[in-house]
Amino acid sequence: MISVTRINIKKTLCVLLAFLMTCSLMATTVFAEDPCTSYSYNAWGKAVPSQNGYLVKDTITGKDMGLDQLSDPESPLFVSEKEPNALNDAKDFFLSSKNEFYIVDTGNNRILKTDVNFNLLACYKTFTGSKLTEEVVDETGATVTREVTDLKAPYGIYVDNDDIMYIADRDNQRVVKCNQNGEVITEYTRPDTELYNSQSFYCTKVIVDAAKNVYVICPAVNKGAIMFSPSGTFVGYYGANRVEVTAEVIKNKIWRKFASESQRATLVNATPVEYANFDIDSEGFIFTVTEVANVSTDAVKKLNPAGNNILELTTNAADLKFGDQETVTYSGTTYQTRLTDITIGDNGLINILDYTSGRIFQYDRDCNLLFTFGCDQEAQKSGFDNPNAIECLGNLIYVLDGRNNDVTVFEETLFGAYVHEAVELFNRGLYEEALEYWREVAKRDGNYNMAYVAIGRALLNQDNYDEALEYFKIAFDDEDYNRAFEARRKEMLRDNFTLITFLILILVVIMIVIGYLKKKGKIPQKLIRTFFKWLGTKLKPLADKVITAAKGGKKK
Amino acid sequence: MIYDMTPLQWLSHVIFHPFEGYEDMRWKKQGSIKISMVIVFFLFVAQVFKARFGGFAFNMRAYSDIFNVVPILVQSVVYYLTWVVANWSFCTLLDGEGNMKRIAIYSAYALVPYIIGSILSTAVSYFITLDETIWMTALSQIGLWWSVVLMISGMKACHQYSFTKTIACMVLTVIGMLLMLCLLVLIMSLFQQVWLFFFTIYTEIMYRVRS
Repeated sequence: MISVTRINIKKTLCVLLAFLMTCSLMATTVFAEDPCTSYSYNAWGKAVPSQNGYLVKDTITGKDMGLDQLSDPESPLFVSEKEPNALNDAKDFFLSSKNEFYIVDTGNNRILKTDVNFNLLACYKTFTGSKLTEEVVDETGATVTREVTDLKAPYGIYVDNDDIMYIADRDNQRVVKCNQNGEVITEYTRPDTELYNSQSFYCTKVIVDAAKNVYVICPAVNKGAIMFSPSGTFVGYYGANRVEVTAEVIKNKIWRKFASESQRATLVNATPVEYANFDIDSEGFIFTVTEVANVSTDAVKKLNPAGNNILELTTNAADLKFGDQETVTYSGTTYQTRLTDITIGDNGLINILDYTSGRIFQYDRDCNLLFTFGCDQEAQKSGFDNPNAIECLGNLIYVLDGRNNDVTVFEETLFGAYVHEAVELFNRGLYEEALEYWREVAKRDGNYNMAYVAIGRALLNQDNYDEALEYFKIAFDDEDYNRAFEARRKEMLRDNFTLITFLILILVVIMIVIGYLKKKGKIPQKLIRTFFKWLGTKLKPLADKVITAAKGGKKK
Repeated sequence: MIYDMTPLQWLSHVIFHPFEGYEDMRWKKQGSIKISMVIVFFLFVAQVFKARFGGFAFNMRAYSDIFNVVPILVQSVVYYLTWVVANWSFCTLLDGEGNMKRIAIYSAYALVPYIIGSILSTAVSYFITLDETIWMTALSQIGLWWSVVLMISGMKACHQYSFTKTIACMVLTVIGMLLMLCLLVLIMSLFQQVWLFFFTIYTEIMYRVRS
């Protein structure tokens, strides 16, 4: 009996222990897990785990914004009883210079204006003063021609410093320029010139530069953005992409040389892909992204007023890469980066939204990857389904999702703050001032390659060559290593100059003496030979000992 | 000139007399297969050295990646063996006088400048910066072309050909090497399939036996 109870006690103890262990294990896994795992790329282009630079702070739905007020008759913002209180397939949003959000609620054909915390300020549904007309069937069944007042599938918006809204009203084929009261100032429609050879004007995105020139993207037009003067006349195309050089393009080009006129007509023309979205930074440079998957030429561009890409000039890099570097195939589907929106933050940070993976890639102004964050639907809180647009303000990043109908707010982590501070100093060339921040970054994330480069450069500036060489070795940065190496070699030569010249002198003297003796036939060859023989006899027992020891060792 | 030299002295004689060295060696029936084997081993060593050493800025891969010896082995020893076999196969048909052993020895002796050049250039890369790459290139190129000259004159002496015929035969030999390597790959994949087939049968039988 006693033994049985003992076993029972043991058993219960075991079960208890196991239970406790599983509990503790579960607890740790639950608390340690982060919905989005961040990564960066090492020197060989392989993805390595990284610390999160941004974490999800909040998700805001239409209800949180207070869209109920639109269907509440007692509210000053009342529109109609049936006004939906949620977003529907919102395609774009814009953060104005007065820190107000303008959300393009495409499915509901309206523009929502909120403050920076997403409290509803206004809703724009109807616009007066349009020159366009449309034919409508009224209640009696007769067709009536009337002025266009409503938006039809608006896709994009831009708001300038005077709070003038520019709305890309896609299915009405116009860009509306209107004030805060919903009164149309100008309309930009299909240009009526020979130069514009597309039949339609389905515009999706719009931006305005400091001179109030309007740039419009139509997906059907691949010659670049359509540029209008402030008065509404067509100026030309702006900043077309280049054609990506593929094997087919080369083949067609060669074939074209030999083909006849009629054969040539059947050949496919090499056309560039259009860019999907753009943003204008505080200095007036326009950044574009190309959404077509698997395009590496001109995926991201920084355009100067002439429409030329200056990204490669300003960054001093020949081969810039954006988005995911490795294509991932997961259960039969291949995921390839599709860059859908871009926004330029403080200090020139470039944030790019990838539609496929729902990730945001943040680059510094030299196009070094800083962080990847966010993820697609599989993860819970920050999972995106149709991420459509991205905006940023200070240390916050907002992402608009067209399927989940919400806005996700990301907040910079402490690690992110360290990196941003460090990168800002680093890009201004203040390597030594940035050193402490980079050391903190390296402490928190050992995979952060840029930290080692930066620490190395700071040490190089301090003439601490040996340590700098070590850091460049860790970072696999050959060019910086080479510079540090050159400096150290120079220092070494300078410090040991007397010794080196002395050695060379001695060598020269010895050579001269030997030459002299040889000439005279006075080299005591017998003496040298006997010396070597003597050395041999002295060394032989030693060598034998080693050999026997080795043999003995082997036998054992 | 006195031609009673040790095998090592013969080696240096051949290397430093590219045009008559091989003829002398053939006349005196010299050349050691043992030294040739050592040279081929050092060819392998030089290739490993090139892959795994060097100044950081010149050879970053050496400081990171996993090292795979098989491609290097193929690039040195297997290339040498196929060269010898292909050369022998073609030149016996084309009235060459060399036998397999002589081809092996003469080819191996010709490789010495290349080996020394590549080892030296790797060693030099520890002391120079990227701007001074020319020194490295010069060393390895001198070694390479010296070896090419030696190889041509070696084959010429070995088979007692004219210059043009030597060149033609060497081109043919390279084609032969490619053929042989292609066949080797084919045979290897075939044997893999056969091996897999027998292995599946074995596993199947073992399942039946156990159940």
